[in-house]
Amino acid sequence: MRRISKTFPGVRALSEVTIQVKQNNIHALIGENGAGKSTLMKILDGVYPAGSFEGQILLRDRVVHLSSPFDARKQGIGYVPQEISVIEGLTVAENIFVGLWNEGGGGIVSFKKLFARAAELLDSMKLQLDPHRQVVTLNASQRQLVMIARALATRPSVLILDEATACLTLDETQNLFRVVHHLRELGLTTIFITHKMSELFEIADHATVLRDGTVAAEFERAQFDEHEIVAAMVGRKIDNFYPARDSAIGDQEVFRVENLTVPHPHLANRNVVEGVSFSVRRGEILGLGGLVGSGRSETVNALYGRLPHSGRVFVEGREIAVRTPREAKASGLGLLTEDRKLDGLLFNFSIQENVTLHDLSQISRWRVLDRARETACAQHYLERLSIRAPSVRTPVANLSGGNKQKVVLAKVLFPKPRVLFLDEPTKGVDVGAKNEIYKLMMSLAAEGIALVVISSELPELLALCDRFMVLARGRIADQFTRAEANEQRLMLAATSGANKPLTN
Amino acid sequence: MKFLRKIWTIPEAGILVPLLVFTLVFYCINPTFLGSNSVAAMLRAMAFVGVIAVGQTWLMIVGGIDLSVGSVAGLCAIVSSWLMKVQGWPMEAGLAAGLAVGLLAGLINGLISVHFGIPAFIATLGMLYVARGLNYLLCKGYPIYPIPDSLKTLGRAEPLGLSWAFVVFALLVVIGDFCLRRTTWGRMVYATGGNVEVARIAGIDTTKVQISCYVLTGGMAALAGMLLMSQLNVGQPEIGVGWELDVIAGVVIGGVSLFGGVGTAIGTFLGLLIMQVVRSGLVVTGVNTHWQTVAVGVIMVSAVGVDLLRRRTKIS
Ligand SMILES: Nc1ncnc2c1ncn2[C@@H]1O[C@H](COP(=O)(O)OP(=O)(O)OP(=O)(O)O)[C@@H](O)[C@H]1O
Ligand SMILES: [Mg+2]
Repeated sequence: MRRISKTFPGVRALSEVTIQVKQNNIHALIGENGAGKSTLMKILDGVYPAGSFEGQILLRDRVVHLSSPFDARKQGIGYVPQEISVIEGLTVAENIFVGLWNEGGGGIVSFKKLFARAAELLDSMKLQLDPHRQVVTLNASQRQLVMIARALATRPSVLILDEATACLTLDETQNLFRVVHHLRELGLTTIFITHKMSELFEIADHATVLRDGTVAAEFERAQFDEHEIVAAMVGRKIDNFYPARDSAIGDQEVFRVENLTVPHPHLANRNVVEGVSFSVRRGEILGLGGLVGSGRSETVNALYGRLPHSGRVFVEGREIAVRTPREAKASGLGLLTEDRKLDGLLFNFSIQENVTLHDLSQISRWRVLDRARETACAQHYLERLSIRAPSVRTPVANLSGGNKQKVVLAKVLFPKPRVLFLDEPTKGVDVGAKNEIYKLMMSLAAEGIALVVISSELPELLALCDRFMVLARGRIADQFTRAEANEQRLMLAATSGANKPLTN
Repeated sequence: MKFLRKIWTIPEAGILVPLLVFTLVFYCINPTFLGSNSVAAMLRAMAFVGVIAVGQTWLMIVGGIDLSVGSVAGLCAIVSSWLMKVQGWPMEAGLAAGLAVGLLAGLINGLISVHFGIPAFIATLGMLYVARGLNYLLCKGYPIYPIPDSLKTLGRAEPLGLSWAFVVFALLVVIGDFCLRRTTWGRMVYATGGNVEVARIAGIDTTKVQISCYVLTGGMAALAGMLLMSQLNVGQPEIGVGWELDVIAGVVIGGVSLFGGVGTAIGTFLGLLIMQVVRSGLVVTGVNTHWQTVAVGVIMVSAVGVDLLRRRTKIS
């Protein structure tokens, strides 16, 4: 791609970016939130058609004009966008072959063939996903896998992965890497966007660092150095990536749940969470470990009243009922959901309207909105979380992925909860911003808020939390304190009980 | 050029521009088109459908739809005139009862579609038939008249050279717009229509918000029906026949998405205005009246098309 520039109203997202990707390489594209990574890839995929940007795209030394993603697909480009977009009403197989349902069969879709092709593809990717399954029943990571399968379905020669690993578990990521390595042998070129340094070191042959819409640095694999790369990304050095804990944990128990059981949403006589009890004290950070599907998300969603459940819940010693999110919020609970596209943000709303949604009473009097106050409140959070946007009135749809995530975070903080459940709080957030979110979590703890954190990034979880609880197949597999914690113990517990069936 | 581009980005631009163009064209063909009589007639004619359209705007923003508004308007007109004429109720009580019937119909629509999950399209289509049937059962197919004199003078009054119906409509547009833009309720309506799950997580009682929109729409339908009744001076069983289509066309032309979450009451006002301008304009220029119906259809589809185009140019 040569001298690419792209301007949105009020934002120059890319200016004169030239990047060269060698065939058969795994080329990492890294940079802060809003650096322009996704925009560059959308240009390469024809989402922003030829003419809406300046510069040229060259494929194998030929200039190409892409006017739509369909064009790009014909040129052998497979794109996994940052935001998951599956069609909920369809099965896994139909989603994978979107638009290609009837390969050679005219207007009639042969479902038998479709499922067979899907099964073959999923098998070659070593994925245990049933092609017949309805996509609605899948969780975020499984949906992501469907998206990846969709990109691979056309047998592309260039594969673009835009933060595809953001919501995958360690195992799934490893598996994806194996697939990518394998396809590289067969001639695949991969462009890989990530915010995880470990992944960069593991798989990339070459890295391009974008900053503020320009190329800040290029690194060959031999020159990879974490400090230099981070410095190139954020333009400064970060010393304490994981901030130290400097506040004491209170004695007072803020939150307690006893015997939480959550039935399976689709299958009778199955539970996704069974007999889980725990408590969190003032200013304590509890880490919930486990694999995807172990019941972590279900636990916090049930506690926030989004799933039917049984068990007793106490906030500051008083028993409360959390049948609806409304009740949960009124009792001082807050939840950051896992998938911001699905249920995190209102894309028609501006930043300020999203931020203040959880507590309209703060910005209104006699139910009439005070917009000056709304702007002021939102501005406060914009600064506190350093959200990068032209103003608080910018529609959230125009933000980069990481900044969207920060808006979701601002949103749940706005009503000042006493207990906060954070489900993958740093998903898709750059290193600099991760560091800021960690600091924010520490300051929330210092303010006395009890935090329950879910993260699939083990180092992050281990570095931040005071205490750990590991779930496996919906039950508590292990509990330990920070002093006793290490990666092995956590992984061991997470993978334990894998063959014990769940019944009730 | 810059000025034009700026206009293009105003939310209501998709309608404002064609509205001005149409007005200008008809004015050039026949200058009496903008005469005060003609304008007053236009505004009077759009008032009844307009009153309902304000409610329908809220409802469609929240993600619902009500097809029964015309029938409910007719039923409420008949109920109140029947109570006043046959049962001898005083005017106030008769009107209050008519309004109550409309609110009740809205509540039933809301409960069935929101609470029991029957698609709004089906639930309110059912109500369309039920209300029309009850209407004929009550009046046996004959107009009910005379209605009380006090109501007659009210209905015939011409405040500001217009009609009470138009005054009510204009007030409702202003209030409706204020509620949507500036109250917490309006914010909850947009949020619920934008993404129910996000709204629920925010602690909004989405069921209540949705049902409130149905109830209000029912109430507006009743209001429109009784306004027309007082102007016509009879409880005409045909009041409201076919209104639902005009209402929905106006709301959609005005920029409300069928998927919910976007739209404004001012937009709806402009949408209805453009429909009325074209209708009256075609009359003034002496085109066969049936072309009006054709024109409304064409305008609705093109308005939505222009809106899509505008949104696209804004994003990329
Ligand atoms: N549709 C749009 N309209 C206006 N501005 C946009 C739009 N899309 C992106 N931008 C802006 O362009 C810049 C680059 O965004 P981009 O999504 O490419 O960032 P990114 O590098 O992918 O970040 P992240 O790591 O957060 O995903 C940001 O400042 C963003 O706000
Ligand atoms: Mg991105």
